[in-house]
Amino acid sequence: MQRVKTIFRVIVLLVLGLYFHYILPQHDIVKVTSTEIIRTDFSAFNRIFYAQADSGAAEQPTRDLRLINTQKQNTFLLGFIPRDSSSVMVYRNEDTGWIYPPYFKFDSADLQAEAANLARGDEWVVVTHYGWRIRWASVYPNAVGVRAVSGPDVTIIPWFNIFFFIFLMAAVLFVRAAWRQFRERSVDPLLDAAGDQIDEVQAGVAERKGRFSRWLGTWRAKK
Amino acid sequence: MGFVKLVVFGFIGLTVIYWSISLFSRSVRKERLENEFDAEHPDGGASGARDAFIADGLKAYDASIRPKLIGLVYIVPTVVVAAIAYTINAN
Repeated sequence: MQRVKTIFRVIVLLVLGLYFHYILPQHDIVKVTSTEIIRTDFSAFNRIFYAQADSGAAEQPTRDLRLINTQKQNTFLLGFIPRDSSSVMVYRNEDTGWIYPPYFKFDSADLQAEAANLARGDEWVVVTHYGWRIRWASVYPNAVGVRAVSGPDVTIIPWFNIFFFIFLMAAVLFVRAAWRQFRERSVDPLLDAAGDQIDEVQAGVAERKGRFSRWLGTWRAKK
Repeated sequence: MGFVKLVVFGFIGLTVIYWSISLFSRSVRKERLENEFDAEHPDGGASGARDAFIADGLKAYDASIRPKLIGLVYIVPTVVVAAIAYTINAN
């Protein structure tokens, strides 16, 4: 039983970890090489990895997709340890709209213009993005912001993620405390009352049984 | 359309959170009042005194600033959403 519980917890943590890795903003240090627009026909599988059409436009099964091509500095450990090598990375550039994921990004066209501007020069750029590059499913991370930096060795502090995890911790602790309070003050008294009632009924049954057996006893031969 | 959805469902979600926090906060306060009374009156006190003490304490709690602060549940997410939308879309 303990092992099943542990496995269950590990799976839940793994799924949550993957989800947060997908959805939370990350920063890459890149050089923008070009921008382009491709026509995209989503499949049933990779559709969930895309946002919707530009927030003012209507949704169609097929649409153009803005892409930003870059040469990206490789890193270890979610970008915390820089490496000396680089590789290509392609970002999509889509509005996330009002609902999900909650980036409230409506400026894809402006971002594309910024990226095109950066592609003309040879500047180092920090791309803020979420999502994954899954090549066999034609899935790209979504760029939500670009900013030029002085060099490839800038220190980036993920403030949003720090505050997000602090907030998440507080929320979990609150839900736990609220649940305990609810159990202690509302559920347990009810259960106690129910338990008391069961005890009373059982005691009544036992007493009646006792009376009955005493009465039976009067018929038994006296020793 | 997305904006309307966000406002409607956001409001519903925040209302659920608001009620949870309100009930939790009041319940914690009530428990503290009960413990306070029991600590001061180990013999149980006069009949009705405990209920009156708790009712008075809860009335004072309702009049205090604390339950009004729970209204921040509506304000803070709105400000955060506005701030995110601004910083993401500002050039």
